[in-house]
Amino acid sequence: MSKNKELISKIGLRLDGRRANELRRIRCKLGVFTEPDGSAYIEQGLTKVLAAVYGPHEVRGGRSKAQHNSAIINCQFSMAVFSTTERKKRPRGDRKSTELSMHLQQALEAAIKSELYPFCQIDVYVEVLHADGGIYPACVNAATLALIDAGIPLKEYVCACTASLANNDIPMLDISHQEEVLGGPTLTVAALPMSGKIVLMEMSQRFHLDHLDKVLEKALQGCKDIKEILDNAVRLHVTDIGSSTGWANTKH
Amino acid sequence: MFTTKAFIKKSKIGHFLKNVREHYIRDDIFCGVPSCETCHPVESHLSSTYKNVCCLFKYNHYLILDTNVILDQMDVLDEPILENIIILHTVLKEVKHRSLPIYKRLQSIIDNPSRHFYVFTNDHHKDTYVKQDDKELINDYNDRLIRKSCSWYMKHLPGEIFVLLSNDAKNRAIALAEGIPTLTIKDYIESVKDNSVLLDKLAKKDIHVETYTKDIFPPHLSNVELLTGVKNGKLHQGTFRASKDNFLEGFVNVDSLEDPVLVQGRSGLNRAVNGDIVVVEIFDKKEWVSPSDIVLEDEGVAEEGIDEIELKERELKRSKKIKEEIKPTGKVVGIIRRKWRQYCGILQGGMDGVYQLFVPSDRSIPKIRIETRQADFLRTQKLIVTIDSWPRHSRYPHGHFVRALGKIGDQTTENEVVLLEHDVPHSQFSEEVLACLPKLPWIITEKDVKKRVDIRHLDICSVDPPGCTDIDDALHCRPIGNDGFEVGVHIADVAHFIRPGTAIDKEAASRATTVYLVNKRIDMVPELLSSNLCSLRGGEERFAFSCVWEMDANANILNTRFHKSIIKSKASFTYEEAQMTIDDKSKNDPIAMSLRGLNKLAKILKKRRLENGALVLASPEVKIHMDSETMEPLDVEVKKLFETNSMVEEFMLLANISVAEKILDEFPECAMLRRHPTPPSTNFDPLIKAGRHLGLDINVECGKNLAQSLDEATKPENPYLNTMLRILATRCMLQAVYFASGTLQKEEYYHYGLAVPLYTHFTSPIRRYADIIVHRLLAVTCGADSTYPDLLDKQKSTELCQNLNYRNRMAQYAGRASVAFNTHLFFKGKLQDEEGYVLHIRKNALQILIPKYGLECTLYLAKKGESSNIFEYNEEEQSQKAGNITLHAFDPVKVRLSLDSNNIQHEKFVLQLVSPYIEGFSVQPLGESMEVDPDKPASEKKRKSKSESHVKNKKKN
Amino acid sequence: MSKNIQIRLASQRINTSVPGNQRYPKIFTPGQVITAQNEFMRGHGTYEENGELKASVAGVREQVNNLISIRPLKSRYNGEIGDVVVGRITEVQQKRWKVDTNSRLDSALLLSSVNLPGGELRRRSVEDEHMMRQFLQEGDLISAEVQNVYSDGSLSLHTRSLRYGKLGQGVLVKVFPSLIKRSKTHFHNLPVGASIILGNNGLIWICTSINNSEESVGGFVQNLEEVVPRQERETICRIRNCILALTQSKMMLYDTSILYAYEESLKYSVAELLIPEAMLDIAILTQQRLTMLENA
Repeated sequence: MSKNKELISKIGLRLDGRRANELRRIRCKLGVFTEPDGSAYIEQGLTKVLAAVYGPHEVRGGRSKAQHNSAIINCQFSMAVFSTTERKKRPRGDRKSTELSMHLQQALEAAIKSELYPFCQIDVYVEVLHADGGIYPACVNAATLALIDAGIPLKEYVCACTASLANNDIPMLDISHQEEVLGGPTLTVAALPMSGKIVLMEMSQRFHLDHLDKVLEKALQGCKDIKEILDNAVRLHVTDIGSSTGWANTKH
Repeated sequence: MFTTKAFIKKSKIGHFLKNVREHYIRDDIFCGVPSCETCHPVESHLSSTYKNVCCLFKYNHYLILDTNVILDQMDVLDEPILENIIILHTVLKEVKHRSLPIYKRLQSIIDNPSRHFYVFTNDHHKDTYVKQDDKELINDYNDRLIRKSCSWYMKHLPGEIFVLLSNDAKNRAIALAEGIPTLTIKDYIESVKDNSVLLDKLAKKDIHVETYTKDIFPPHLSNVELLTGVKNGKLHQGTFRASKDNFLEGFVNVDSLEDPVLVQGRSGLNRAVNGDIVVVEIFDKKEWVSPSDIVLEDEGVAEEGIDEIELKERELKRSKKIKEEIKPTGKVVGIIRRKWRQYCGILQGGMDGVYQLFVPSDRSIPKIRIETRQADFLRTQKLIVTIDSWPRHSRYPHGHFVRALGKIGDQTTENEVVLLEHDVPHSQFSEEVLACLPKLPWIITEKDVKKRVDIRHLDICSVDPPGCTDIDDALHCRPIGNDGFEVGVHIADVAHFIRPGTAIDKEAASRATTVYLVNKRIDMVPELLSSNLCSLRGGEERFAFSCVWEMDANANILNTRFHKSIIKSKASFTYEEAQMTIDDKSKNDPIAMSLRGLNKLAKILKKRRLENGALVLASPEVKIHMDSETMEPLDVEVKKLFETNSMVEEFMLLANISVAEKILDEFPECAMLRRHPTPPSTNFDPLIKAGRHLGLDINVECGKNLAQSLDEATKPENPYLNTMLRILATRCMLQAVYFASGTLQKEEYYHYGLAVPLYTHFTSPIRRYADIIVHRLLAVTCGADSTYPDLLDKQKSTELCQNLNYRNRMAQYAGRASVAFNTHLFFKGKLQDEEGYVLHIRKNALQILIPKYGLECTLYLAKKGESSNIFEYNEEEQSQKAGNITLHAFDPVKVRLSLDSNNIQHEKFVLQLVSPYIEGFSVQPLGESMEVDPDKPASEKKRKSKSESHVKNKKKN
Repeated sequence: MSKNIQIRLASQRINTSVPGNQRYPKIFTPGQVITAQNEFMRGHGTYEENGELKASVAGVREQVNNLISIRPLKSRYNGEIGDVVVGRITEVQQKRWKVDTNSRLDSALLLSSVNLPGGELRRRSVEDEHMMRQFLQEGDLISAEVQNVYSDGSLSLHTRSLRYGKLGQGVLVKVFPSLIKRSKTHFHNLPVGASIILGNNGLIWICTSINNSEESVGGFVQNLEEVVPRQERETICRIRNCILALTQSKMMLYDTSILYAYEESLKYSVAELLIPEAMLDIAILTQQRLTMLENA
């Protein structure tokens, strides 16, 4: 496991030069495709994820699955074969992908107001283009943006973030792949940052319960920070569309 | 707040992989110079008041160091003379990459505020970060980064002077061209005031002495050649282990080979130093030889003379070729990594001038040539020296003086040496640690009573060796029910005082164990705890952790429980007193009854344990009586053993086993256990061989068989034989080690010596840190305490175990070294005839064990380099024959014992055979020897006079 | 053909936005509190939590009396009665077709809402039910009008007017529904020799000019044999590419904007119109002309 490597130097900088409570650089874009109803692209550090949302639409492939009181949310996670240092054999369908798809679905179900769309289905496809740690959070964040782009009602943003313990003591935010490999347990949290509700929490390994509070707090703070960044991007995007269309069809 | 930049790194792991990592460049990194007004003040040790004085610069200046300066001249930096030093982060990283020990030393200097060091994170600073160019070598890139930072500092603070110290001529040249003031460390130090201390410490790496003498050693292959050689299987990489007896011989342990590779001679060893990771080339099978069984010592005095060495090489060549014992033989062709450390030793006398030879006390390390201007003073001192380099033309490695420890032969100095050589942390406890101690007077509060089981009323007593102040165990036994007993083992509750994570806890974890020297005890915890609050002294109320069994009369455990308790020991006995109490039939008080009950149960337990295959091993342990005033040893004797010793031992074992089961049950992943690995069968070869010569069959298949064969291996004519065999058996064993349960398979938990599947250490928390951890674990299982993160962290536990194992081993060695030193001291100026036994037969010597003093010495049968004309060595039978007397292993002998103080560093015992009497070799018994003509050449050793009571070893030079 | 393929790095992409209108209404994003007063009614795109009215989509606020709603600028098509839509048959059921209209549920086209050959007043017989697949089968494109909106949000369509019906040869373009400007008519016969149907649901149909008042086109006839001359095909493609250009810059689509874009595009060849810079150029020029028109 950890080679007793210092993840935070005495000066307080991490291996890539960040401080413990700093996120990696986030760049995102909404509406990157025209075909899906909503789409988004996000970069968290070097982790790059595309998300596309189709729907809500008629349930395809057997009506029996349709629910009378809410929409079906169907998520598919895949990783491009070139996304990791060693080429992957298959982009999806392996256990990890299936698990991540389910986790993604769990996080999104908590945010989407699916009760508004009975008998409907919403498809969310995420594709990791480059994996450098924090794949799941990037997917959740990208999916949120794509859902907003698609105009699907959400209770609020759903954001995810990782946190870990540096040197088994100092909690740190937004773990890169390098830190994931060297460091200890990684806590992944998906939350509704405005209300502070946690919708998904996962740990890669065990650590002592005493650490949980501070690490969790860090992760939640990270979710809030991410939400701010995403919110800005959304506002910019809406403004962009609005001013291009001349706010047409807007009655006010 | 920060800008980002991604950069690409390529690394090879098997095949080419492209690693892309982020690299954030910040604008919130500051220069750390106190006089700077533009930067945010940051925590920086740089001082505006401290001034570096160097006559080359008129003004105060700050120093910026190149990596090579730090790597080569760490000892100079250790001296608190150079200060106000800016360490660049890239340099720090490179140092860490190149040498972890130096990095640690540097880190401790950086942390010391009085040294005024500052780490400038240049690689994340927006102005000092530069991108590595394509095809730029990493070294050039690092140098460029350093220069960039220097120029940035100069531009940033035009009012201050920054000097770059570098030993790299190219770097210096470019720096000068860029207008950066730069010097070599040598030039700089030579212009520093009061530099004599520093000059001695200057490593001699960069000094190239042009000599026209022929090279003494063959050159090493280049790194590329080594790596390709290892890769295609022509060469082998391994750790070099020098022989302690023969300076021209050593072994290389190669992972891929079963047998270690033998290397011999000057060119065979080729400048490898004990511990180095080297590459060897293995010869053809026909050139393989057997390890020599002669003892060779480096007696070289002359600095570069190699005649003598060549002589010895020839001697070495003559003395071998035993078909059956040939080993893979090879030669060292290159060195992958040096494992040089600091060595303790003395200067070899008889040399003038600034160049001196340093003789390390560790015999597996070659002598080291150092340069000093204070040789006269240093000759009286024990020194610490480190190796810098070993050029081809030099017979000895070059090194430099680090520090002096004290006067040679002084008790305190020798203790210091023992402690240093064995890496025992022995400084005073820091203020921070002492602050963790409870305030006196210490009283037991209501709250404490509530949390604990109050068993102050029980008749508990402790049994320990005389003079023991750190009593960590006490016992009780009382009858319950029909014919059952309740037996309790009460262990000092040290964990109550040492809370996890506190300074005292960290200190104890680092010390790991209390180290017992003959006249000194290096405590693991401060004395207040070890000898007072935790010590279960008689008549005092103390906190304890109790392990209580209900047993039937046959010592079968019916029920076990653990709880924290308050006890009041009724008495502290010594083993002897306890024995007397048991034996004294007239005493019938509860304590005596309790002891008798314990004794009875212990015997049953012991019997059962031995039946299960537990080994009874022996090692000669001695006790040295010290004069309390002069601190000189008065007498040396073997420790006496009473029945009560074994009584206490049995219950401690039982407690440890019970606790081990309990904590493993609760913490399958992170319980701290102790295992004793089953030794590989080859380890037993010497034992089997020895047994065969005596006509005894030693079965080593499993522990039980071994125990049985050892029990049966007796001969009426030699009562000590059995003990000798047990001593030999002990030496075949592996070390028992601590481990975290999650790291191994269940089968590997086995304790071979005790023949139990599970074992741990619970009973001595005052002197062993492992026990404290076990206490904490156990406290959790019985709800008395809560866990904390590190306790349950498998990784951290493993790291802790490694430290504990290391420290324990070292503590053991240190203890032995201390006994050896004091035994020497005791024999200084004495001459005695003693009973002894032959332990091994060598070609030119006999190994003799003297049980009375627990000594093992060598009796030379012939002069060095010559074979004896009196004795006939029989390889097959392992015997030496002289006339009609044949000496076999285990034969009793009588020898005369004296101390050779010729070599003040390695005083050694000199033996002379007294009986059996062999004409022309043995000496008369002591009473009669007075009449013997002192000049009669009885052996190679010659007594000089009667009044001078020690014997001098005649040496060739 | 393949020599003109352009692939460019993401970093070299151009910014396609053509900010025309500088007034910025307040934008709400999901979870944002719209008002804490509770006298308002919650409309689409809002929800109530803890007595506060919050937005559930990112968009602008619209208020009708007490009803507050947030309208996302981009979403699936929400049908309204009278909308013209273009859709594709997905399923043939008993007495009705299912039509994908880019709405959240498939729309229904009842057998009773179509004009069957043989007059409006013809009785629908069982034979007609058996014949349904011969009128329209899976995959066929139709234009239709929204007749009704059901409670679950799905639409009922009709093709009673002869303007509606099965679509023949032409090109379908899909854009976001919100880009289609609502206007009186969504059928345009552009003077350049093509006609377009701007479906409110974001599907745009471009075909050759429909000969005026040839009313019999509506219905279920599809002439795939007829060869459309190359020139007309180019015109259709040009219109299609112009629409893409405007879409890329998220400009509203209506007859004027498309016509202007078409006129501005004439300096490029049809294929060149797929180069992002050219598309942006057209979008900007069109935007300028529209602004001039607005200000005039």
